[in-house]
Amino acid sequence: MSDDEEFTDINGKVIFLACQNHSSFCREFTVSVPKVSLRHVMVYTCSVWLVAYVVFFLTENTAVLSGAIFVTLVGMLLHVHFVKIDHETLLIIGSLGVQVSSSYASGRESTTFIEMSKIKDIVINESIYMQRVIYYLCILLKEPTDPDALSSVVPLFQSSKPRLNCLVKVYKSCQEILAQC
Amino acid sequence: MVLKIFFPQCCNMAASGLLIGHWLPGQDSAVVLAVVHYPFIPGQVKRYLSQLRNESQVELAVLGSWSMPKDGQEGMESFLRDLSTIFPQGRWLQLSREMGKKGFTCRVVQRDGGLLGEEGENGDGDGDGDGDGDGDGDGDGDGDGDGDGDGDGDGGRVIFIHYDQRKVMLCQLHPPEGGARGVGAVIGGEESSELRLVFSAVAQSQPLFFTDKYDDGPLKLTHWQSEGREGSIIVELAKHASVPVCLLLTWLLSLWTWLCSVTNLQPVRFVSSKLSTCVQLSYRTEHLQIVSSPKTALGHSESMRKANIFVSFFVDVALGLLLISWLYQENRISRLANTLVPVADHVAKELQELLQWLMGAPAGFKMNRALDQVLGRFFLYHIHLWISYIHLMSPFIERILWYVGLCACLGLTFALSVLSDIVALLTFHIYCFYVYGARLYCLKIYGLSSLWRLFRGKKWNVLRQRVDSCSYDMDQLFIGTLLFTVLLFLLPTTALYYLVFTLLRLVVVLFQGLIHLSVDFINSFPLFAMGLRLCRPYRLAEGVKFRVLCEEPGKPLHLMMEINPLGYGSVLQWYRTPTYSCYPKDSWAALCKKLFVGELVYPWRHKGTKID
Amino acid sequence: MNVKNLSKSCMMGQRQRAGRKGSLSNRTPDGITVGIQDSPKHNICMVSDFFYPNMGGVESHIYQLSQCLIERGHKVVIATHAYGNRRGVRYLTNGLKVYYLPLQVMYNQSTATSCFHSLPLLRSVFVRERITVVHAHSSFSAMAHDSLFHAKTMGLNTVFTDHSLFGFADVSSVLTNKLLTVSLCDTSHIICVSYTSKENTVLRATLDPEIVSVIPNAVDPTDFTPDPSQRDDSKITIVVVSRLVYRKGIDLLGGIIPELCLKYPDLQFIIGGEGPKRIVLEEVREKYQLHDRVRLLGALEHKDVRKVLIQGHIFLNTSLTEAFCMAIVEGASCGLQVVSTRVGGIPEVLPEELITLCEPTVSSLCQGLEMVIAKQQSGSVPPPAAIHSRVQTLYTWRNVADRTEKVYDRVAKEVVLPLDGRLDRLRAHCGPVAGSIFAFVAVLDFLFLLLLQWFVPDSVIDIAVDASGPRGLWRRARTRQKEPSANCHKDTGTGNGEHLYGALFKKR
Repeated sequence: MSDDEEFTDINGKVIFLACQNHSSFCREFTVSVPKVSLRHVMVYTCSVWLVAYVVFFLTENTAVLSGAIFVTLVGMLLHVHFVKIDHETLLIIGSLGVQVSSSYASGRESTTFIEMSKIKDIVINESIYMQRVIYYLCILLKEPTDPDALSSVVPLFQSSKPRLNCLVKVYKSCQEILAQC
Repeated sequence: MVLKIFFPQCCNMAASGLLIGHWLPGQDSAVVLAVVHYPFIPGQVKRYLSQLRNESQVELAVLGSWSMPKDGQEGMESFLRDLSTIFPQGRWLQLSREMGKKGFTCRVVQRDGGLLGEEGENGDGDGDGDGDGDGDGDGDGDGDGDGDGDGDGDGGRVIFIHYDQRKVMLCQLHPPEGGARGVGAVIGGEESSELRLVFSAVAQSQPLFFTDKYDDGPLKLTHWQSEGREGSIIVELAKHASVPVCLLLTWLLSLWTWLCSVTNLQPVRFVSSKLSTCVQLSYRTEHLQIVSSPKTALGHSESMRKANIFVSFFVDVALGLLLISWLYQENRISRLANTLVPVADHVAKELQELLQWLMGAPAGFKMNRALDQVLGRFFLYHIHLWISYIHLMSPFIERILWYVGLCACLGLTFALSVLSDIVALLTFHIYCFYVYGARLYCLKIYGLSSLWRLFRGKKWNVLRQRVDSCSYDMDQLFIGTLLFTVLLFLLPTTALYYLVFTLLRLVVVLFQGLIHLSVDFINSFPLFAMGLRLCRPYRLAEGVKFRVLCEEPGKPLHLMMEINPLGYGSVLQWYRTPTYSCYPKDSWAALCKKLFVGELVYPWRHKGTKID
Repeated sequence: MNVKNLSKSCMMGQRQRAGRKGSLSNRTPDGITVGIQDSPKHNICMVSDFFYPNMGGVESHIYQLSQCLIERGHKVVIATHAYGNRRGVRYLTNGLKVYYLPLQVMYNQSTATSCFHSLPLLRSVFVRERITVVHAHSSFSAMAHDSLFHAKTMGLNTVFTDHSLFGFADVSSVLTNKLLTVSLCDTSHIICVSYTSKENTVLRATLDPEIVSVIPNAVDPTDFTPDPSQRDDSKITIVVVSRLVYRKGIDLLGGIIPELCLKYPDLQFIIGGEGPKRIVLEEVREKYQLHDRVRLLGALEHKDVRKVLIQGHIFLNTSLTEAFCMAIVEGASCGLQVVSTRVGGIPEVLPEELITLCEPTVSSLCQGLEMVIAKQQSGSVPPPAAIHSRVQTLYTWRNVADRTEKVYDRVAKEVVLPLDGRLDRLRAHCGPVAGSIFAFVAVLDFLFLLLLQWFVPDSVIDIAVDASGPRGLWRRARTRQKEPSANCHKDTGTGNGEHLYGALFKKR
């Protein structure tokens, strides 16, 4: 049921799209990025410690070393808990709603569920992001008072930012389900 | 169309019986609330339901049948179908589950007898509903379509959504992204949303859950059971005691407000609006009035507000008592008083030196000597006055501090407000300097700007609020230009005095602002809501989240509905008690502009400019 | 047909050259011929600081030209800076895609320029839209100059349209002219809106006149039809529609109004537009108690301009400098008598019998106006319908697009100067100091581009889905749904023979 396909994100890094068919009207898309690579962690840790050691060598103050260890640990924890997103999931259940969740490397998960009655459509949009123009998938929400108007836009896969070919695949799949209901 | 059945977890293992629940109007979904077990008398069930309907205002109905054959109870099929004729409904659900197989089967029978669809069985966790989707694998169901219709497996697709009845009943659903901020908007908004309807249906059918499973009634039900009420005697006592306490408090408060309104004459009102202690006092009065009002809280938001105020009041008083116990030990008050007078003296001395420096050539600037001397002498005389005033006061300071410190028993916020007021009183000379400097500077800037317009042949049109061109005659231009030059050359001297005193003033304002911020934090922090969020996360919900329990294709989908608790940030946003810091304040740019043109800046906010 | 083949092969060459940069891995052959004409289709990016929601001559020029080019099967996108909340990507009629890029506005809706900071965004737009021709508009627009600079760095063909006239004497003009020289010296082709403007531009930027073409502006005659029933014939109404700024001679207008109002009791003024000089008119109105005779309408939307024009008898234009005045053509098209100052390219715009030209002084303008008022009172003016039918055929957007397309065809055949050639050109053309400085800047720009290409290679930039052009999805979707609501003008008589400046475009 689930098949991992390899795509790239807008910076050319590899990401994986897993598409899981729970039933004909319930599908789950998971975009996962590679795990925190050990090399990066090593590089950052080593550089911080090297700097700390140099400072220690010059000042002969041991507080610097313990400070460096503390900074590395806290930095890593914060990064894993608040910054690094491991995978993002889009669960679309026909006639019930869409659930968007992103789980951090530490296992923390943040989830939002949007009811079908509030959803106007799911589209691919273009926007300017960090001195570039990129495509992204987003959910259009209805205005509660006026069903034709648009109240806001919920962007999907915000952290992994897949390229157009990946978005098109998810989009087509989503539209199939939306068309059924 | 997809049929959604919200199914309580506690009924997973219930014995066979009738499903009682509620069809959501306009939606293709049913909320199962309880199961009535065999044997029952249909008439009694109907009576019971109508009674409940009156109590709870929810359209309760018999949704269908639930069968969990123990063993050897064959031949139920025809009986179950006959049931649907006893309880006439638009649609009749036949749910069944087999003991060993952990599977559900659902069959939907239309009123006209057509079998809408059937779904095979599928896996679901037993009891706790934590089935992690391992499935059962043997999904044969009884898909033989033995009904009177044709088993078109496609037409009616079913989703089972399992929910925890207790959590859903107690939970308060918040609208997404606090568009309408403030506590008043928690309830209300659009009630059309499906999940909202489910939540309200479950919450309103509370009377149904009062029937205990040990009750000896004619009907046996399965639904969520409360685990009894522990410590209920204390709660009852507190409840009984609270009524006279509240009445007493209300009476006292009304007396107090009456007293306030009697003494609220013009000078008193002006002074009290400037003293932060008085402002804090009026806040506390308001809060206590809210808490002690005899009216029962309407709705969730109001009760939360009361609880928040109550808890933060208690915490405040507790902190205040702690402070008192620390302050009145080891003669700390007199030590404080003894350090206070030298500090004030020292500040005055420093100021004197600063003025001497300004009267010379500060930082190498060459000022207008005459103006410089006049201003310097004026301020020096002021400081002299101030010092004598402090010395006059010094014998009484300890006594004053001792009495004033007592007000900390009203709460930490009071102690802080008093501190702020004391600072304001002790730095009164700085304030005076600042006001003189600012007024002088403001006058110059104003004169310069209007003379600059005259210079360019323009004038300010007050009626139309715009700059018009205007032809002046020779004398006017001459005098104007002369004045302009004079003002322009005197500006640096004034500006320097203004700058120095403004910096001094800003230090004081900053200190007072910090105190006000902390007072405000204690006043507005929703302690109760935070505690609730910490200990009972499901009580304050942002929304729901779903988990897929079954992953087999072609089977009805089983989802687990869990409650997504509100984030701490949003809790703060929803439930903070509104105080003056909630209202929009001057931006930094506005502050800078005020400083530049010489308008006065204050740490307090005028009540009149509050925007509601 | 020979020419066409040649052009195609040149296009191919161009493409291969650009392909060296690796941007064109999935470029489709755009020699595909769809629609009316059998010429190669271009991917055009119009760049200017001035575009809707800002209103003015340049803005409507870009819009109308783009619409007609789309109609002819080209792909057109527009890049401009963000206007307040309007930022990101928008689509206008017929799939005209507009990029509102978040660049900082400095003065007068013109962006601040640092020569480099707009490169990442513009490169992203050029690469993802597979642009072949960059067409910049207006010499006031810093963004247009930036885009020319970057496009040349990226090896794209460039076209520039100048919409305004400049002086030579004052300091600011000297500086701007130097900048213009630098910006235009290696631009492939330049378009001016009138002969005066061409002369001016050639002199200012010391250009080879060979690469400068004249293509006048146009108006949509169907939008500006006369309707004499709206006039109040008991009075004579003078209409002024322009932005109320110094360049438009509002101070002259302030002098004219009291003088004429004293002389003619049945005269009234209707003034449409908004700007810093509005105060001048308000003061005049208050000083001479002319509230009932001078109506200030404030800012007008483009669709409301006709409603104002048809109420008048005389259209007055007091501009102090103007390259090509679209307002007087609009006024004449509505059947009004046009009185204007004799500045810039205005004398070229309308034939003599349709316009009264005066010197830009109060007395001369009053004289001219009095003459026209006398004619009006005696009833010896031609009927509005006649004037309209005369003007109708003079300037059409179809014609403009046709001629612009020829410029594109020609430019597409040219080879963009490689970096070394460009440096030589800059140094030879712009003087030793400025030339060297800008050669250095060009090198830096190139290095910056290389850096960007290293960070974000062209291959990871998604190619945009075309809305217009040969593979445009918009048209297909529209035709499937319903009749295309063409906003492009279906004008009738594009006979070209009637053209006042019929052979303006020099064919080579």
